[in-house]
Amino acid sequence: MVDTTTMQARSTGSLRVPRYAGWIGKAVGSGLYRHTIGRLADSRRARLALLAGVPLFWIAALHIGPIFQMGRISFMADYPQAPDGGSAYTLANYELFFSDQLYFMPFIRSLIFAAVVTISTLVIVYPVAYYVAKIVQPKNRMRALLLLLIPFWAGELIRTFSVIMLLANRGAVNVALRELGFIDRPIPMLYTSFSLSFGVIYLLALYMLLPLYSAIEKIPTPLIHAAADLGAGPFQRFRRVILPLSKDGIVSGCSLVYLTSVGVFAAPLLLGGPNTVIFPEVIATLFHSSNDKWPEGAAFAMLLLAVSLSTVGLFMRVIGGRSVRLM
Amino acid sequence: MRPYFADLPKTALGAAYWLFAVYLLLPLALMTAMSFKDASFVAFPITDWTLNWYAQVLNDKQFIEASLYSIGIALATTATATVIGVWIALLVSTEGIWGKAIIFALACLPAVVPGLINAISMRIFIRTVDIPTGTAAIILSHAVHAVPFVVIMVLTRLRSMPANLVDAARDLGADRFVAFLRVTIPYLMPALLGGMIFCVLTSIDDFVRTFFLGGYKPTLPMLIFAKVQGACRRKSTPWPRSCWS
Repeated sequence: MVDTTTMQARSTGSLRVPRYAGWIGKAVGSGLYRHTIGRLADSRRARLALLAGVPLFWIAALHIGPIFQMGRISFMADYPQAPDGGSAYTLANYELFFSDQLYFMPFIRSLIFAAVVTISTLVIVYPVAYYVAKIVQPKNRMRALLLLLIPFWAGELIRTFSVIMLLANRGAVNVALRELGFIDRPIPMLYTSFSLSFGVIYLLALYMLLPLYSAIEKIPTPLIHAAADLGAGPFQRFRRVILPLSKDGIVSGCSLVYLTSVGVFAAPLLLGGPNTVIFPEVIATLFHSSNDKWPEGAAFAMLLLAVSLSTVGLFMRVIGGRSVRLM
Repeated sequence: MRPYFADLPKTALGAAYWLFAVYLLLPLALMTAMSFKDASFVAFPITDWTLNWYAQVLNDKQFIEASLYSIGIALATTATATVIGVWIALLVSTEGIWGKAIIFALACLPAVVPGLINAISMRIFIRTVDIPTGTAAIILSHAVHAVPFVVIMVLTRLRSMPANLVDAARDLGADRFVAFLRVTIPYLMPALLGGMIFCVLTSIDDFVRTFFLGGYKPTLPMLIFAKVQGACRRKSTPWPRSCWS
């Protein structure tokens, strides 16, 4: 209704165009604006087109497009296709994965690695999140949280490097142990699956901390009191009240950590050794050793994507969190 | 209040918190100490101290160039991702649009796809549409990664916005575009700032996307990666790159 009256008023010229202060006012008052955006803003059709056009194009082209194209290439015999090749689609790239242990083992290792990292992170971070959310006085809560967030401003590679200096043969831990007389020669910790998990947990703890914190903070403290009044001990209170109510946080934290650690790439290059080759390294090698292995790489990436997303989906189903909240 | 918690293992939780804080902060503190060490190799113990390394870095042309390049990419990423993110959020929050849930889910897709797969699919994609590897490709992939987070932050804020604010502006004579510029955008400012900070941080920090999509000009993470790898080990990367020599 407002639309039509303004439009009529404008076309007949009986109502003066409203004036605003500042540069917006000047721009809006100009004839150019009234004949372009001003007119668009008054028509519902044009407005919808303007509103939907760019987002839909972006999502279709850049969110779906790459995954779709990767899926398409994974069925191709070779890419780029030979000029006369036409459409040579094949399942050979997927068969290759299941036929060779060289590819199969790192895949399994990757999934186990991600699961172990996720569970360890959950176990390590849960008490910390609970402490900050429920035991620290509300006025100190932000400070307690910020202290833990400082390291995450330092960046992925910097933190990886700092883990190297902690665990290397002449790193801090080994030197300290030797000075204290516990060991004679350094314990080789770097380039093992220990250093890799240690580093990845170090990198990803934040993704677990924030969802857990926000979920636990939302639990009404009177509920915990009520459970105590009704005779529940600390363990029972945790199992029957706190744990179920923080389910949302557990689900989003675990999903985030799992999905990130499945695709972790820089850390294995720096912290891993020959025995810890995980799947991302295999995929990367296929992509860059030479250009003609792209279809295999695409097929492997599709497998990793499908398996990791369905694992997370299954996990969410089983635990029963409502949705993944990213923040 | 206190008696109820008295039996909770409070001290244990406090200890867990402080141990965790030490775990997070100690490696970085050690690295900072190492940066003052007066020797050309990375190892403990530290006996002599120097500020020399900082002087060297500040005079290192490659480092300065890489930093500026990274900052430029981060700014371009932030601008792109913020505009697109707000646009998608507006679309999703509009009433009476078919398939909003699907649009929202697809808008969030890049946030749940593991980083490596994101990078690889983008590498395939830019080859399909004939964009060369390099600055444009990096910015595009960083923006795609950041958009879901901007959308979520802006949507959260938009949902808390009273609808009558825009109505009031319209009653006072603003058309929809002006109302958007002068009412909606200022209301969204906190979410926009949060989103922008997130974009800048993730873009400057990103390694895996730049690794697959970058040209021969190194960004800051690429340079740091090359230096760290040179300092720590000889295991070769999947393939050689001329910018690391």
